[in-house]
Amino acid sequence: MTTVTSQAETSSRIAAARTSLPSKIWQHRADYAYVLPAILVMLIVIAYPIYYTIDLSFFKTPPGLQLKDKVFIGLDNYTAILTSEVFWKVTLNTLIWTAASTLVSFALGFAAALALHRDFIGRGTIRAILIIPWVISAVAASYIWKWIYHSEFGIIGAVLVQLHVLDRMPNFIDSVNTVLPSLIVVNIWREFPFAMIMMTAGLQTVPDQLLRAARVDGANPWQRFWHVTFPHLSNVSTVTILLLAVANFNSFIIPWIMTGGGPANASHIWITHIYELAFGRQRWGVASAYSVLLFIILMTLGYFYVRALSGNERRERNT
Amino acid sequence: MSAAVETTAPRGRRRKPIDGWRWAGRLLLVIMLFYTAVPMLWMLITSIKSGFAAMQFPPQWWPDEPTLASYQKLLDPQNSVGQDFLHFFWNSLFVSTITTVLSVVVAVPAAYAFSRFSFPGRNFLFFSVLLRNMFPAVIFLVPLFILMRILGLVNTPGSLILTYMTFGLPLAIWLLKGFYDNIPVQLEQAARIDGATRFQAFVTIVMPLSGPGIIATAIYSFIGAWNEYIYAYTFLNKNDQLTLPIGIQRFFSENTTDFPGLMAASFMMSVPVVVLFLVLQRYFVRALTEGAVKH
Repeated sequence: MTTVTSQAETSSRIAAARTSLPSKIWQHRADYAYVLPAILVMLIVIAYPIYYTIDLSFFKTPPGLQLKDKVFIGLDNYTAILTSEVFWKVTLNTLIWTAASTLVSFALGFAAALALHRDFIGRGTIRAILIIPWVISAVAASYIWKWIYHSEFGIIGAVLVQLHVLDRMPNFIDSVNTVLPSLIVVNIWREFPFAMIMMTAGLQTVPDQLLRAARVDGANPWQRFWHVTFPHLSNVSTVTILLLAVANFNSFIIPWIMTGGGPANASHIWITHIYELAFGRQRWGVASAYSVLLFIILMTLGYFYVRALSGNERRERNT
Repeated sequence: MSAAVETTAPRGRRRKPIDGWRWAGRLLLVIMLFYTAVPMLWMLITSIKSGFAAMQFPPQWWPDEPTLASYQKLLDPQNSVGQDFLHFFWNSLFVSTITTVLSVVVAVPAAYAFSRFSFPGRNFLFFSVLLRNMFPAVIFLVPLFILMRILGLVNTPGSLILTYMTFGLPLAIWLLKGFYDNIPVQLEQAARIDGATRFQAFVTIVMPLSGPGIIATAIYSFIGAWNEYIYAYTFLNKNDQLTLPIGIQRFFSENTTDFPGLMAASFMMSVPVVVLFLVLQRYFVRALTEGAVKH
């Protein structure tokens, strides 16, 4: 009985919404004026490129962007990518790069936020210093670290040699085995402050009464953190991790400036590889097909992102 | 005597775990400070060395003869390096400032609409705006390059301003929406009752209250534009149009061993954004709090 009425209700509501949509839009026509400038700019610079990339991915293109001479080849670009060895190498690099950067940045940022949660003298100064790497340019950061990793005069190697840990200068970014971890350290250096800011903000929303109540009930600090603080932060954590994952997946500057993907593709990730295909080797069609694949992956991530965000909103509306 | 020992001992044991966590926190902060600050300090120390002093093993932990020669070279309009650097600096400043102003002008009404009105398609538009942030610049490079060629903007600051606006807008709208959500609607309603139109209420009531949000959004746009690399690297190839990140890369590829000069340039490039951040830190962090957490 109840199901029948509710079904009838929803169908009538749908019908009402359908009949009134144009008039609704007309009613709200003034509202669109506020959003229009933003949408217009976005359309020119986003919708068109997306369409263009998808289109180009089905063509064989001559170098030099003489696009009149492109030849339709169907899905050949895609099969060429998926059967190439470099693709799997680069994909593995990207996975390691994204996962390690995201998780370590998040853990360090979260830990720093917790350590800075209690007020003490100098807290503001420490926090400001910790955030600076996030503010400075990635190009500057890349050169600073390139110099730190320098194979003859780098400070890390010099310290290790002086302390007799190593007997000769190590090759951080010129060796296939160490290049990716070395670059991840640089990336974490720039990314953890973001996690720290987000989690600091999140920690401020944890109600003090709950923590005090838990202490009265005899919970130790770890239990208070695990059973009270952490569950409260699950939303912020999700959003932070997703944003970090997307940012890391999309990173370009650090690997590009520091190694350009080398040696022997050991530090190529998707974005640097696509860039090299397009602007280095001028294989626009293949690069576009890569972009479309990237697109699909990002849309999947984006789906979870939107769900996490709208989950927040729904919960807020309910409270 | 023995009773005193008995009473203090358990208390000590009960306190121990708390101190343990606190000490772990302090240790972590010391390590993090080391990790964060040492690269920046090494940049500064290297920048005041001579080229010869930088290339020594073991390194001079503090230069024997500190010199500001690298900075003098970069800031001297008489020689070609200084001329280029000041030019790049000015280009970066110009592009970043115009981008910031335009972004705020476009983002303010949009964010306000997303916060206040419920028009059909609002959620769809809002999330499509957010989704833009997920896509890497590389995807947009080729088509945008061709678009810029059609618009005749290649090698002009206009190409950068237009692109920076679009990648800055989603974040700007998102941050500002957080601020507007926290301004009570009642204020505007009161103004409406007093006879103001909706637009008047927006300009006279909401705009002044959203100052901190606008400042925060402006800082984000500015820093984003100042540090941007990949579009500038692709769209510009005339020497007199380059922005700092590209200029520094050029400098390095021509002077591969001048690390003091490179570090001095990196430092000079970081100064404006770090100063901006330190002065306006309050707004900066608050914006993320409002936008992301209370969202």
